[in-house]
Amino acid sequence: MLQLSAITKTFRLAKRRKTTAGAIDPRERGRTFYALDGIDLEIPSGGVLGLLGQNGAGKTTLLRILSTSLKPSSGVVLCDGEDLTKNPLEIRRRIGFVSGNTGLYGRLSAREMLLYYGRLHGMQAAALRERIDELSATLDMEAFLDRRNETFSSGMRQKVSIARALIHDPDILLFDELTTGLDVAAAESVLAVVEMCRERNKTVLFSTHHMDEVDQLCDRVAILHAGRLCFEGDAAGMRQQTGESFLDKAFLKIIKAEPGEVAA
Amino acid sequence: MRGSVTTVFFKELRDILRDRKTLLLMIMLPIVVVPLLLNSLISFVMEQQKESETEVLEYVIFGEEHAPDLAKVFAETKRFKKTTIESQEELVTAIRSDEIDFGIVIPEKAASRLAEKSQATVELHYDNASSGSRVESRVEDVVDEYNEELTKARLIELGVTSSRKRRAVLEPVHLAEKGTGDIREVLGDNVGGMLPYFFIAFCFMGVVYPAIHLGAGEKERGTLETLLLAPIPRHQIVLGKFLAVFSGGIIAVLLNIASLGTWIAIKAGQLRGTLGTMIGSIGWLDLTLLALMLVPVAAMFASLLLSVSIYARNSPEASSLISPFGIVMIVPAVLAMLPGVELNWFWASIPITNISLAMKELVKGTMDYTMLLAIFGSSTLIAGLLLFFCTKWFNRETVLFRM
Repeated sequence: MLQLSAITKTFRLAKRRKTTAGAIDPRERGRTFYALDGIDLEIPSGGVLGLLGQNGAGKTTLLRILSTSLKPSSGVVLCDGEDLTKNPLEIRRRIGFVSGNTGLYGRLSAREMLLYYGRLHGMQAAALRERIDELSATLDMEAFLDRRNETFSSGMRQKVSIARALIHDPDILLFDELTTGLDVAAAESVLAVVEMCRERNKTVLFSTHHMDEVDQLCDRVAILHAGRLCFEGDAAGMRQQTGESFLDKAFLKIIKAEPGEVAA
Repeated sequence: MRGSVTTVFFKELRDILRDRKTLLLMIMLPIVVVPLLLNSLISFVMEQQKESETEVLEYVIFGEEHAPDLAKVFAETKRFKKTTIESQEELVTAIRSDEIDFGIVIPEKAASRLAEKSQATVELHYDNASSGSRVESRVEDVVDEYNEELTKARLIELGVTSSRKRRAVLEPVHLAEKGTGDIREVLGDNVGGMLPYFFIAFCFMGVVYPAIHLGAGEKERGTLETLLLAPIPRHQIVLGKFLAVFSGGIIAVLLNIASLGTWIAIKAGQLRGTLGTMIGSIGWLDLTLLALMLVPVAAMFASLLLSVSIYARNSPEASSLISPFGIVMIVPAVLAMLPGVELNWFWASIPITNISLAMKELVKGTMDYTMLLAIFGSSTLIAGLLLFFCTKWFNRETVLFRM
C-alpha cells in the first residue's frame, strides 16, 4: 500500500509568471511555486488508480515523487510502511515508471537496452534473457527486438519503454500519459499491458486525459487540480457527485467547482 | 558497486562509439588530420624556405655611377636580376605592386665619401611587411661581401697586411659562444610548448562530445529519468558516465600521441639535417610520459564538462555553456608557450599550465622529477575534487530537473 500524507512539493521560480488572462497563478506564493499542496492519498495494493487532472495539475510531479526521482518538500510517502525517502534504492526495485516523455537510447537495440536496465536491477544473465523473451512475446516485440531504437515508430518505442519498466517485474507501476501521441492500434496494445498488470494484481497508477481509458481500466480515480487533490473515489462516484453521465463533463464540473481554478 | 559502474560505463562507451561525430572527433581526427597537418606544415615551411633562397630577385639601382664597384657586385650576384623603372619616384609603387623586389639608391655624395675612405650610406628599399621575404638578408650578404673586400683593401693600405692582424683590428675582443643545450633541449624550448597545447586541445575535443551526449543528451532524449530510477546510488551512475567521458579524452590523446610518434618515426628517417635530428630525438618513452601527464587533464575536463552538461537543459545549451570553458582551459596551456615562462614552483601551482610546462621539460629532457610528481599529484587531486563536485551536482533536483 502507498500512503501519502500532506505531500507538498515546491519549486523556486526565477520570476513570477502570469497566465494568459493576466492573473497570477494562485500556486505561486512569492518566488515559490506549489506544484503539489498537501496531498493525502491512500493507494491500496492491486488494481488501477486513474490519476486525472489538467495539464500542469501536478500529476507528473506526484508520479515523480512516487518513483523517487523527486523528494517531497514536506510530507511523507510510505510504501508498505517504509518511508520512500529513507530507502529509495529498495523502493526503486519495486517500481516501474513510464511516461509519454521517457525516451530510449537510439543507438542501442531494444534487446541491448533491456539487458542494460536488467543488469542495473541486478538481474542474473539467464533470468534476464528469459525475462526479455517473455516480455517481447507479451508485447509482440520479437520482430524488432534486435533493431536499433532510433528506427522505431511511436508505438514500438512505447512498447520498449514499457518492457524496460517491467523488466525487473515490479509490483508498483507508474504510467504517465502512456497513450499520448499513439495511434488507435498502438494505444490499444499499450492499454492491454495495463489490463494485464491489473490481472496480475499489480498496483498501477495511471495518469491520463482520456476518460474512455478511465472507464475501461481504472478501479479508482483521483483528480488533481492546481496541485491539490479534489476528488477521490471511482468513475461511478464522479458521475454520482456531478449528476453527469459523461465522464468528461463530470471531470470538468469537479475541477470547475474548485477555488483554485485558474483562467487558462 | 563495481558491477553497476562498469555496466553504466560499458553501455555509455558503446553508445558514444556508435556515433559518427564522436568517431570523427576522437579517432579520425588524430589518425588522419594530425599527420596531414604536420606534413603540410613542414612541407610549407621547407618550400617557403627553399623558394625564398632560390628565388630570382629583380631590382633597380639608382646612382650607379656614384659606386660602380658596388653596382657591379650586385650585377654579378647570382639570382639577382637588374631591371629598370621610369624614375626613382616610382620606386615605392613598383615594390608594392611586386613589379620589382627591391631598389638600391646610391646618393651622389657616396662617391666622395668612398673616395676619401669615409663611410658611405646606400639605401635599400624593399617590402618589409612581407614576413616570408628574405630580400634584406640576401642584400646584406652582398653588401657584407663588398664591405669585406673594401675593408681588406683599406687595411692593406694602412699597412695591416696579415689576416690575423686584420681580425685583431676589426674585432679586438672576439666572443666565442659555447651553448650548453643539446639538440633535445633546443627542440624542447622551441616546440615543447606547442606540443602540450595541441595535446590539451585534442584531449578537450575528445571529451566535449561524449560529455554533451551523456549529460544534456540524456535529458533531451528523456532517458535520464529512467536511469535515475535504477536501484543504484547516483554516484555510481556519475562514475560510470565519468569513466566513459574520460575514456573519450584518453582515446583522443593516445591516438594523437601514437599518430605523432609514427609520424616522427617516419619523418626522422626522411628528413635530413638539424630538423631530422631534432625530430628523431623524441623517443617513445618521452611520448609515454607525455601521455601520462595528460591523464589528470582528461579527468579534469571530463568531470567539469559532465557537470556543465548535466546542468544544461539540452545539447545546444550544453554546447554554448561549454564553449567558454574551452577558452578558459586553453589559456593556461597557451601560457606555457610564452617566452620567459619556465617551470618553477609558482607555475607548478597553476593547473593546466603546470602540466604544459612539465610536458615541455619532458621534451627537453630537463624535468625535475620531484616537481613532476607534485604536479601529477596535485592535478589528480584537482580532478578528484571536480569529480566529487560532479557527484554532488548530480544529486541536485534543481540541476537534474531544471525548469
